Amino acid sequence: MSVRLDGNIIHLEEDCRVEDAEPLLGWLQADQTRIVDLTEVRHIHTAVLQILMAFRPAIRGTAKDTFLRDWIIPALAGGK
Amino acid sequence: MDDLLKHFITEAHELIQQATDDLLALERDPQAAAPMNSAFRAVHTLKGSVGLFDFAPMGLALHAAEDLLGALKEKRTSIDAHVIDILLTCLGQIERWVAEIEQAGQLPTGAADEGYRLARALRSLLDEPPIQTAVAIPEAEHEWIKELFTQESRNLVGLRPQNAPIVAIRYIPRTDSFFAGDDPIALLRSVPDLLALRVKNRDPWPPAAEFDPFACNLHIEALTGAEIESVKAVFRFVPDQVVIREITRSVESKVLGTVLNEATSRIPIGATETAGTRTLRVDAARIDRLADLIGEMVIAKNALGHLAGQISDGLDGKHLAQSLLANHAAIERLVTEMHGAVMNVRMMPMRDIFRRFPRAVREIAGQLGRAIDFTMEGEEVQADKAIVEGLFEPLLHLLRNAVGHGAEPEHLRVEAGKSAKTRIVLRALRDGDRVRVEVEDDGRGVDPVTIRETARQRGISSEENLDRLSDAEVINLIFAPGFSTASEVTDLSGRGVGMDAVRSAVERLGGQTNVQSLQGRGTTISLSLPSTIVMTKVMVVRLANELYGIPLDGIIETTFVPSSRILAIGTSEAFVLRDKTLPLLRLADLLEVPRLSVPSQVLKVMVMALGDELVGIAVDGLDQRMDVLMRPMTGILAGMPGVIGTTLLGDGKVLMILDVPELIR
Repeated sequence: MSVRLDGNIIHLEEDCRVEDAEPLLGWLQADQTRIVDLTEVRHIHTAVLQILMAFRPAIRGTAKDTFLRDWIIPALAGGK
Repeated sequence: MDDLLKHFITEAHELIQQATDDLLALERDPQAAAPMNSAFRAVHTLKGSVGLFDFAPMGLALHAAEDLLGALKEKRTSIDAHVIDILLTCLGQIERWVAEIEQAGQLPTGAADEGYRLARALRSLLDEPPIQTAVAIPEAEHEWIKELFTQESRNLVGLRPQNAPIVAIRYIPRTDSFFAGDDPIALLRSVPDLLALRVKNRDPWPPAAEFDPFACNLHIEALTGAEIESVKAVFRFVPDQVVIREITRSVESKVLGTVLNEATSRIPIGATETAGTRTLRVDAARIDRLADLIGEMVIAKNALGHLAGQISDGLDGKHLAQSLLANHAAIERLVTEMHGAVMNVRMMPMRDIFRRFPRAVREIAGQLGRAIDFTMEGEEVQADKAIVEGLFEPLLHLLRNAVGHGAEPEHLRVEAGKSAKTRIVLRALRDGDRVRVEVEDDGRGVDPVTIRETARQRGISSEENLDRLSDAEVINLIFAPGFSTASEVTDLSGRGVGMDAVRSAVERLGGQTNVQSLQGRGTTISLSLPSTIVMTKVMVVRLANELYGIPLDGIIETTFVPSSRILAIGTSEAFVLRDKTLPLLRLADLLEVPRLSVPSQVLKVMVMALGDELVGIAVDGLDQRMDVLMRPMTGILAGMPGVIGTTLLGDGKVLMILDVPELIR
């Protein structure tokens, strides 16, 4: 499991895989004000990304991974 | 190497050659249908064979070449020198890869990039507007690509060289793609050289409570500067969900030019020769003939057995001798025929090497900017495999020279009243039991004055000797060792090979070289070679009790000279033969063995040609002439000077066959 709820903050860490989508969805469905921390993440599975795109939670931290940092996270911010 | 791969290599060489021939034919006549179809078929077949192995870059390049040829065939793209160039470049690369596979069993590192490059260069010709091809982008898609470009233009500016193509990707993963194990973001991560990326939801997001985390609802668009083929490779498992388009912003002549330049600068001309053993393809009828002869041999052998039976039954001596003689005659006939049949198997037409020259001449002419009208004659003339293959290098060098030194610039030719293109003819013809191969050009010819001057400067020949020589003889000095020097070693003459190397290569094959030239009219260099090398006629000579063989083709005549007629000139000897004074050398001295203790009253002398001069070689005895199957010297004896080879005599003794000219030198 690479998603972890710590108080009001959801940490995505290491490689987020397809099975991480369900808990993430549950936490955001329960409380849409929760913050997602991407500091430690290395890869985000598409299923996880979709949830971030749909729920548009507040994002904290910049991923260390250059692909995520340069392409995916900006896409999150810019999307509708 | 496994059999399948071996077959592939043999087949690949032939198909590449076929396609090359066809392309050159197409260049001469772009409308010709036969070479067009044949080239397409050859490349198509080759591509199919490549598919059996793990040679993906080769397959990639060939696939692109096939598509391009397909377009040419259907007249969707027109044939010009540029198209032919790039196709030949592709074939040249494939040929080098095949050679590499032959040597190492696999493609060299870097083949993948080269394959992409070739494929792209080939495909860029297909993409050229205004011709609409299958690869062109459909109208309907212009919109999203244009939009993507405009929106992302700030990212693109300054990032890319103006003319580099950009690949646009639209990827709409299927709703159930997560269940199929796909992770679209991971795929995008693998796209090299990403320039822009947009990830959107395909349909509006459902209300939070109804959100299905496992239904993919994305619409992804991206731009990349990577090769289209490598992009395709990333998405190879989801071809139905992705649209990949190459956006060529301008005609890619520049890119193409780079590919061509890089390719040619790296490949020395002549690098197309493949090392290693080649299989000999033989007409089945010739093998059948051998089988028939073996059948007859068996019968002749049985007759001997029968004869042995008759002897034990008390056959008398006279009948025995008769029967043995008859049997000997039958076996002799069979051996002769057998020899002929085996020689026949080794015979191959000049075509097998000639066909590689048009491309080489074209490349050389292109590099030097000379206009050449190159033709070949007598491709069907046959000679022993070793002779034909041994001629490739020397002929290539002669052709280089003809283009590089013989051909004049066009304007000079026109001024001189000649056709604009220099005519070069490569010709093979039968000449008795020899084969003559000529390289003829109608270029500037050789200037005997310059040759004399150069020969004098370089000390090739002495002053008085030069004055004695006729112009025709002087011209032949270009074959003298040391005549071609570094000043002539351009990248074409390359590798420092001079005309003397041509001569020694030809002489190794048992041949002679000759050059005829008329200043301003052209040059003809002719090589005269034996058509077979395996059977050699030798004269057996005796020195004391030792026997030696001398190749008969070097001996002009044999004569007897009474010792009283020998003239002493200083430390040398001479004799007069039909009013001409010839130098006399003794074979014993040449071989550094002791002369006979009791000199004979009459010397047996062989008159031999040494270059243009005649010389007498004295021996102790002249024996029979015979045909021998000469074995070249091998192993540590290979470098032994003065001995060409050996053969076995009837009594089991080894006969050394001497190279007298080399002994004298």
